[in-house]
Formats: sequence, structure tokens, C-alpha cells
Amino acid sequence: MIAVLGWAGLWLFIEIVAIILAWPERRPEERSHGLETPTRQNAAKMEKENALLRRRLQALAPTGIHIVIDSARNVLYLKKGTEILRQAVVSCGSGSILEEPGGRRKWVFDTPRGEFEVRSKIVDPTWVKPDWAFIEEGKEVPKKTEERLEPGVLGDYALGFGNGYFIHGTLYTRLLGRNVTHGCVRVGDADLKAIYQAASIGTKIFVF
Amino acid sequence: MISSIDQRKMLLGMAVMAGLALAAFAYSGQETSPGRENRILKQELELARSPALYFILDFRAEKIELKSRGMTLREWKIEKIRRWGKLPSPGAVTLDRKSTLFPPKRAKIKPGAEEEGSFELDALELKDMPSSFAFFLEGGIRIYVRPSPRGFFAKIAGAGGFLVWNLWIPLKNLVFEIRKKPFGAFDFVLRDREEAQSLYWAFPQGIKGIIVSD
Repeated sequence: MIAVLGWAGLWLFIEIVAIILAWPERRPEERSHGLETPTRQNAAKMEKENALLRRRLQALAPTGIHIVIDSARNVLYLKKGTEILRQAVVSCGSGSILEEPGGRRKWVFDTPRGEFEVRSKIVDPTWVKPDWAFIEEGKEVPKKTEERLEPGVLGDYALGFGNGYFIHGTLYTRLLGRNVTHGCVRVGDADLKAIYQAASIGTKIFVF
Repeated sequence: MISSIDQRKMLLGMAVMAGLALAAFAYSGQETSPGRENRILKQELELARSPALYFILDFRAEKIELKSRGMTLREWKIEKIRRWGKLPSPGAVTLDRKSTLFPPKRAKIKPGAEEEGSFELDALELKDMPSSFAFFLEGGIRIYVRPSPRGFFAKIAGAGGFLVWNLWIPLKNLVFEIRKKPFGAFDFVLRDREEAQSLYWAFPQGIKGIIVSD
């Protein structure tokens, strides 16, 4: 009994010490972070500099037409400045993994995140099936390009944004809103047409 | 000999001096804000110049922003913040790793098997993301994220979490203190499950950001 009480007391003591040490600080010590307390003149000067920095920051953000893609919610926003011109339900990458039998190559089907730009605009695109498409189907990878061509599966338009990724149409409209693609962004026909018409080469695409 | 009138004058003078000193101190306190903003803006400008996404973790405004080129892509409002340990130094940080009890697993595609024809999709989606997890930022900062508890079981789990938070985390802080390692633990409660899941989704390991503290 005494031993138990002793251990409990010790634990309580350690816990109290721990809580006291971990007690949140009220104010950060600005000086320890290398910040100087500015004088009034310095503050006014700094305010001016801050206004300039804010302008520089704002200048980096797109003011014209741009595309924002929320890959978690599968939503594409066509925007002009801060205004949303159109909102579309899309399909983004499935996040699945494909390994080539023999383990030589591996693909992760994520929609890449970050800032991109429209690099190509194609009407009536033909899908040039990449190696992974054949491996996924359990088929042999063809050597001739002609054997890779598959028209009519990417919809009426495609907008390339680098490394083989496209915003394109789909035959699987029932899957819009789900993460099912190999990294491309699938869009419904009407939305795709609007995006194609609004975007030009160089239009920024932000994916998160 | 000092008369009582002189004493009163002296006291009054001291009170005035103390008042002025306090006012000056209070003023200097206010003056730190442009300096802090300047530092944050410079750091953000540096991050915004690269095409990578970055975040702003604002303790003052109780929100997390995911940004690119100075533009906010998504914002999460933090409903409740609790903390133990030191406040993080304001400045740029990197998300070292994400941790959760049941991390989401990617499906492996079997070559030759039907995928889209069937309705069973082996996709990694928002609903598969954890809603309770921890972000380990550089500099010993741990951010525990969870949704606002709703329902009986969530409240029971919340009670367990309360004990862990109030007993276990201070002990961890003590260990780190002894080992002279930085430690700061934060508990963020977000509006609902989906908000927390989307935060897990949107923050890849290695993402850089800025902490704006008090």
C-alpha cells in the first residue's frame, strides 16, 4: 500500500513538473527571433516597405483566366482573377500503383500538384496509349506508334499541361466526381468546351 | 528633512514617470507588428516565387491557408487551439512527416484485371484520408489535428484524447526538455471530418510554409 502510494506520489510529482515546464508561453520573445523593436521612424519606413512587398506578392497571383483544380473534391474552377467563371465536377488521379511484371518500372497514378500551364490545345484528340496502359491491360507493349493510337476516348478537346498530363473529356461520365484517372483530369463535355474556349497556351493551372 | 508635500510631489513625479515608461513600453509593443509583418511578407514572397504550393499557419487568425503565387487555394478555419510547450518561432518551416494510426494505403493494380468496367474502384479518395492525424514540422513542432467531436463515440474518444493531451504530452515535453530538444505541441480542432481529411490530403510531405504566431 505504501509502495503504491509512493509510486503514485512520484508520478504525480513528475506530472506536475512536466505540466509546469510545458505550460504554454504567453508571448513570443521577439528579440530571440532576431526581430528588433523598431522606432517610430523605422515603423513608418517598414510600413511603406510592407505595402511594396504586398504589391509584389499580389503581382505574382494570376489576374487573368486561370484554372484551379481541387484534386481531393474533384472540382475544377475556371477563374478570372478572384472571380469564379465556371465550376466543373471532374475526375482526378486514383493514387493507385502499377508495377510492371518483373518489377522494372512502377507508376503512381496521382494528378501532379503545383503550378502548371496549358502547353498544348488539341481538337479531337487521339490517345497515344502509353506503356502503362498496355501493362495494366495485361498486353504486350507494341513497338509501333500506330498500334498505340486510340481515337474517340479523350472527348472533343484536350489541354496538355506537361509530362503527358491532360485535361480532357471522358466516356465515363458516371465516374465524374471520383478519383479514377491515371493522373489526367477528366471533364464533362460542356465544361470541357467552355474550358477549352477560355484557356489559351500559357494559361496557368493550379492543382492541389 | 523632506516635507510631506515634497514627498507627495516626488511620488506624483514617480507615478507620472512610470506612466510614461509604461506608455512607451506599450507603444514599442505595438511597433513590433510592422517588423513581424515585414519578415512574414519577405518569407512569403520567397516561397511564392517558386511554382510549389506552400502554406501559412496563422495562429493569430486561427486559420491554415494553402497558397500558390500569393493566391489562397484553400483555407481551413481552426475552431479550437490548445498548446503545450514553446510557441514556434515565426518563420519558414517544412512539413517533415505526417503521422496517423491507420495511414491510407494505395491500391495496387493487378495487370490484366478489369478496372473501370466494374463498380469497385480501388481509388485513394478523400473519404479514405484519416481525420485524426499529426503533422511533424521542423523545429520540434507537432500539430495534432482532429475534427470537432460529434456523436457519442466521438465524445468518448475525445475524453481519451483529453487525458492523452493533458498527461502524456507534458511528459513528452519534459523528456524533450531534458534532452535539450525543441518541443511544441498544438491541438487543432477543425469544423468536421471532411475538413480534417482535406487538410491531410492537401499537405504533402515536404511542403514548405510559414508560421505566424502571436
